[in-house]
Amino acid sequence: MGKPEPTGIKAWIFTTDHKKIAVLYLVTSLVFFVVGLLLAIIMRTKLLVPDREFLISNELYNVFFTIHGAAMVLFWMIPVLLGFFANYLIPLMIGAHDVAFPRVNALSYWMYVGACLIAVLGLVLPGRLDIGWTGYPPYSVTGPANTALYVFAVHLLGASSISGAVNFITTIITLRAPGMTWGRLNLTVWGIFGSFIIQLIGVPVLAAAVTLLLFDKYLGTHFYDTNGGNPLLYQHLFWFYAHPAVYVVALPVFGIVSDIVSTFARKRIFGYTSMVIAMMIITVLGFEVWVHHLYVAGTLNWSRIVFMWGTILIGVPTGIKVFNWLATLHKGSIDLKTPMLYALGFIALFTIGGITGIANGLVGFDIHVHDTHWVVAHFHYVLALSMSMLVLGGIYYWFPKMTGKMYDEKLGQLGFWLTLVGALIAFFPHFMMGVDGIPRRYAILPAEYTGMIRISSLFSYIAIAGFFITIWNYIKSARSGAPAPANPWNSLSLEWTIPSPPPFYNFEKIPVITSDPYEYGKPEGHGEEKGAVGGHAAHHH
Amino acid sequence: MDSAMEHGVSAAHGDHGHHHEVELSIWPLIVSVGGFLIPLSFIMAFPWGMSSIGMLLSGVAVVVLIGGLFGWTNEIYANKKDVGLSKVAIVIFILSEAALFGGLFGGYLYSMLPADNWPPLNTPEGVPPLGLAIILSVFLITSSFTIHIGEEKLEHGDAGGYKTWLIVTIILGALFALLMAYEWFELIHEKGFYISLNTYSTFFFTITGFHASHVIVGLVMQIFCVLMTKSFTKEKHTLAKTTGLYWHFVDGIWLLVVSLIYIIPYFKVGQ
Repeated sequence: MGKPEPTGIKAWIFTTDHKKIAVLYLVTSLVFFVVGLLLAIIMRTKLLVPDREFLISNELYNVFFTIHGAAMVLFWMIPVLLGFFANYLIPLMIGAHDVAFPRVNALSYWMYVGACLIAVLGLVLPGRLDIGWTGYPPYSVTGPANTALYVFAVHLLGASSISGAVNFITTIITLRAPGMTWGRLNLTVWGIFGSFIIQLIGVPVLAAAVTLLLFDKYLGTHFYDTNGGNPLLYQHLFWFYAHPAVYVVALPVFGIVSDIVSTFARKRIFGYTSMVIAMMIITVLGFEVWVHHLYVAGTLNWSRIVFMWGTILIGVPTGIKVFNWLATLHKGSIDLKTPMLYALGFIALFTIGGITGIANGLVGFDIHVHDTHWVVAHFHYVLALSMSMLVLGGIYYWFPKMTGKMYDEKLGQLGFWLTLVGALIAFFPHFMMGVDGIPRRYAILPAEYTGMIRISSLFSYIAIAGFFITIWNYIKSARSGAPAPANPWNSLSLEWTIPSPPPFYNFEKIPVITSDPYEYGKPEGHGEEKGAVGGHAAHHH
Repeated sequence: MDSAMEHGVSAAHGDHGHHHEVELSIWPLIVSVGGFLIPLSFIMAFPWGMSSIGMLLSGVAVVVLIGGLFGWTNEIYANKKDVGLSKVAIVIFILSEAALFGGLFGGYLYSMLPADNWPPLNTPEGVPPLGLAIILSVFLITSSFTIHIGEEKLEHGDAGGYKTWLIVTIILGALFALLMAYEWFELIHEKGFYISLNTYSTFFFTITGFHASHVIVGLVMQIFCVLMTKSFTKEKHTLAKTTGLYWHFVDGIWLLVVSLIYIIPYFKVGQ
């Protein structure tokens, strides 16, 4: 029966097992989530007295919003989705023993850790990074910041992402179990697939952008200076990846929402094919929107119109997904367990964020709100809060599978409601401030907005309290939760057909797939207990 | 315990552990330590101004990195597996590399197209050295044919013929790299054309440098293939195939380098 499972500390440090690597990714990215949240708490507290220096210096404020942004996007959202979820779920959902290149998988993780270390250096050492997570020249070249730390963190993350992308795209193409056709893949798999395509094409361009930044700073080259070069080039190259990076986060999230909604509504996902097509359209169209970050930077007029249309168009496949989720819920047998609450909360927050994004994409409106608190509010709704929340819900959903234990439902719901209430209100005042033209990233704000900012800070504390309760719930339940059955949600998806936690080799024998993961309500899937038997389970003789 | 188990996966036997030969490997960690030390040595040498410690650390980093890669490949070949997945992977990886060069060429065009003079007026006479570029192109394009002939030999089971043609390819590739180094030396020391001179020189050295680094990676892969020729058979030679694909890609990129970086500035096209 193969080799015995290795144990002890070596089994983690030298592991090439996708499930262990996934857990390593989860723990590391959660640490950076907490780092980002702590920085947020300090900044929100500083802003309680917005019109003068308070608690931290203005210079430190710049460092904090830089590391807050980088930690949340680059070290939390992307790694938790493409490190943790992709690693844990892809082999289980396509019916494989592991990924195509297990060693490369471990390499991806350790390079991510290297990037994390460099980011921490950028927070604590002299020459702290105060260049914003975007690192725009000329300030990043001429300013006091140690831009090399930023560049190398991006390089190591990029190497990690590209090797991950090659690994997982190859895995999904070549290691699907017999009968696991493209039309039977979980939408989570499709989302992660699209996401890795964006990583594959986008990350090298970002790597090039920051390499040229390094050359400008230390070799005296002229890429981004005004002596023949052009600082706008950096913005183009940067956003060519950094805007699609939003879809790197969003696509897997869309997939996870679909899986959770279908399971807890006990209904087939509405419009599977349209979901897949929408995801692939977003993957491609995601590369045709980046100039909306440069509307006021001095780009050519025609390009602003072209990219405005790209930006608005991407609302169409996104809207299709929201309507499909609602149609899936319609007349479903809805079970409001914690993961489902998070999925529904996500749909609400994401819709607010998404609609404000359409407004933001219009050139005329954006010229007014560009680089104001409107933008801060928009991306905290659409990306930061809604997607972080859904990620936490996704962790709850697969928690019994991973740990073999049930999470604490009461604590889970408490954390959810706190976060939802906080998240719904925390950034709303910023929309109003943005419309009034208050620029973002300023350490000192006008005194007349004190009331609004304090409301915002108060509700952000509530949301963060919810996050901490949720993380505490994971730790507590992983240690002392009640034992979980193999399939507590009666899902029809392949990962629930094996024991919880999954055995070392995932599947004793590669399964043969005869149906798709969403066939709820079919005769053989009828009845609660037998639900798991019919659909996605393997039949082999 | 669970009905799904009885019904499905647990009932079957055999096929155990396939694709899961490696559960523990020390090498990914070693390689990433090397990968982490290289930027750290740069940070020490440049921003922190500790150049001797930085130099020392970069030496350590390179040793760790190469040692790690060596151990890694050794481990793979100790298992004697040719799972045949890497051809898909190398195509995907090449797409990523193409995006990298796409970003660089995009940046180049973005700087060149609005410029009144290209190359800028302070560019010395005789730059770009088009004659040298033609010789370089001859080497590289020929090498793409020779490696292809080698692969055809291998497909007909002639490992010896493969080895011969591969060595010819390596010689051509090495000549390319050496001539490139000579060209850089000439430009910098004889013609006074260096990386921080103007926007054109900035892009010239960056893009030719990026390309040359890919040539060197390709050469390392080819040397490795020469050493591994014994293990190749008519059916099992994925490494040879992937090396060939990568080399053709490097060759194709060179054609873009020649047209955009050498020919257009030489003839001042469009001005």
